[in-house]
Amino acid sequence: MYPTRGGDDKLDSLLQVYRAACPDREPSANFMPGLWRRIESRRNFTFSFQRMVRGFVTAAAAVTLAIGVYVSLPRARPAPEVSYLEALADANTLDTPENVGPVRLELNEPGR
Amino acid sequence: MLVDFELVRRAQQGDSAAFNEVVLAYRKRTMGTIGRLIARTEDVEDVAQEVFLRLYFSLDQLRAPEVFEPWLYRLTVNAAYDYLRKQRRRPEFRMSDLSEQQVMMADAVAGGKVEHDQQQKKKIRETVDSLLGAVSEADRVLLLMKEVEGLSLRELEKIYRVKENALKVRLFRARQRVLKAFETAERKNENG
Repeated sequence: MYPTRGGDDKLDSLLQVYRAACPDREPSANFMPGLWRRIESRRNFTFSFQRMVRGFVTAAAAVTLAIGVYVSLPRARPAPEVSYLEALADANTLDTPENVGPVRLELNEPGR
Repeated sequence: MLVDFELVRRAQQGDSAAFNEVVLAYRKRTMGTIGRLIARTEDVEDVAQEVFLRLYFSLDQLRAPEVFEPWLYRLTVNAAYDYLRKQRRRPEFRMSDLSEQQVMMADAVAGGKVEHDQQQKKKIRETVDSLLGAVSEADRVLLLMKEVEGLSLRELEKIYRVKENALKVRLFRARQRVLKAFETAERKNENG
């Protein structure tokens, strides 16, 4: 069901009376001091936050710089002359006498 | 404008005395608007302070002093809307929410028979608050800005930064919902 024109007028009147029933209000004596307290508090918070952010950015820049310097410095330890695999192969060569020498047969075994 | 452009310009440049004068000029009107939007008298001052706090920290974003008033209205609407969203105490509208007494009051008011003493004013506020429970908080604020604050569609367009036609549609729908709730409550009252 759609609202009627009469209802429309009644609602208009009601809203007008509502406007009159809610006039502009006088603020309390504490309004301006309270407002300035809130402004100061927000300002201090913003200032502290900015200081913290600035400190963080400075620290991050310093760390980045230190890492950069460290990476760009020549290595103190000399690089190994042989690789790990080469060293391993040298230690266990296949052509040692145990591996490549002539096979020995024990012919005087009992029972032979 | 309740203040001249030069004062707004000085406040924009960080002049605290100028900002103080701007607040003194607009605080009563702003509190009145907030009072009608949030319908909780005890929180009006707090929300008004929030509006001026936001104004203080956003004045540098104001393009020109000429658009100061729509800017302040925009801050007012946003603060009131934020408050309503945070509260969420307002019960959803049900037909039973509108008491028989409230319906009779609405009828009497519409007929112009009522003397406005404090008690009646309170009842009127409760009646309208119940009726506006039929729409969302955003629509409630929009409807009140148009119907009660008396802002034109052009002014609302500046405040909401939404095309006039879109506002018209939204206002029409919100009004129809409130009207339907009003008539349903009236019928219910007539039927006993």
